Amino acid sequence: MRILAIIPAYNEEECLEDTVSSLKAACPDVDYLVVNDGSSDSTEDVCISCGLNHMRLPINCGLATAFQAGMKYAFRHDYDAAVQFDADGQHLPEYILPMAQALDDQDADIVIASRVLAGEKISGARGAGSKLISLLIHLTGGVRLTDPTSGMRMYGRKTIETFSKGHDLTPEPDTVALLARKGATVVEVPAHMQERQGGESYLDLSHVIRYMARTCCSILFFQWFR
Amino acid sequence: MSVTLRILCVLGSAITFAVIAKRIKKAKVRIDDSLFWIVFSFGLLVIAVFPDIPRFLATLFGFQATSNFVFLAVIMLLLLREFSNTMKISMLNERLNELAQEQALQAKEEEDGDGPHAKR
Repeated sequence: MRILAIIPAYNEEECLEDTVSSLKAACPDVDYLVVNDGSSDSTEDVCISCGLNHMRLPINCGLATAFQAGMKYAFRHDYDAAVQFDADGQHLPEYILPMAQALDDQDADIVIASRVLAGEKISGARGAGSKLISLLIHLTGGVRLTDPTSGMRMYGRKTIETFSKGHDLTPEPDTVALLARKGATVVEVPAHMQERQGGESYLDLSHVIRYMARTCCSILFFQWFR
Repeated sequence: MSVTLRILCVLGSAITFAVIAKRIKKAKVRIDDSLFWIVFSFGLLVIAVFPDIPRFLATLFGFQATSNFVFLAVIMLLLLREFSNTMKISMLNERLNELAQEQALQAKEEEDGDGPHAKR
């Protein structure tokens, strides 16, 4: 089973190298691809000097486009599975193989690494947002997810193709809901995550509001027309 | 429709026309995209010169004052324009993203010296 870890990187000079080396150390058989999303810092220099397998978008296009570029690469290079892997060190590579196992064993299309199944509590506003999104996905897509906002997701062959040819498919919970409703099998496996190891988080208030608005509208309204 | 409003319409029409003409001259806008503004400017002029036209339409739709009708018509026109611009920008964004992705994928292939389906 050939697995590609897609690592979108926008201004991640601080921890990209550590993230990739721990990924390589933990999963030597997993290929990886850094997608430099038009970073304005020295992310590109880090990629070149460390000899990372990477490609560079000429302009900053945003996470969804960077991830889709990785999916197109995975599709064209005929990978069996692709996993969304954060450049900031939040995701732990030792969960990649268990996710692939679940993908294979349960014939799933999407496998989500769930912090909740591993016993972690998502607290405060983040937890409330996560519960709300879970509820919406359950109501519309019929699947129960414990950790829909987990950014570590593995996609199977069919989903890789859907992503690489699709329009406006974000690597976010609304796409999981849409694909689940269209018949994709979504399963979760327990996984721990770390705090981000460097770089800046996008989680300021305006981004959170935008994220929640987009996700909720997309799940509640737009997916019925798609 | 008051004389003031008619004068304002003529002024608006003249300014719109002058600005768009200048933009075309400086090659800052494509003729295709300027058509809306030329027609808009012409429309304002027609309304100002022949106030009977908006007066007739206002009465037809039951507006109390012709100026109300003119305002609403302009607002609706601009809203439609805004909507079509949103669609256009959205599609442009999509195409720009696709171009960026293709460029990156091709550069990557050239760098690796392999086509699709080759190993690492």
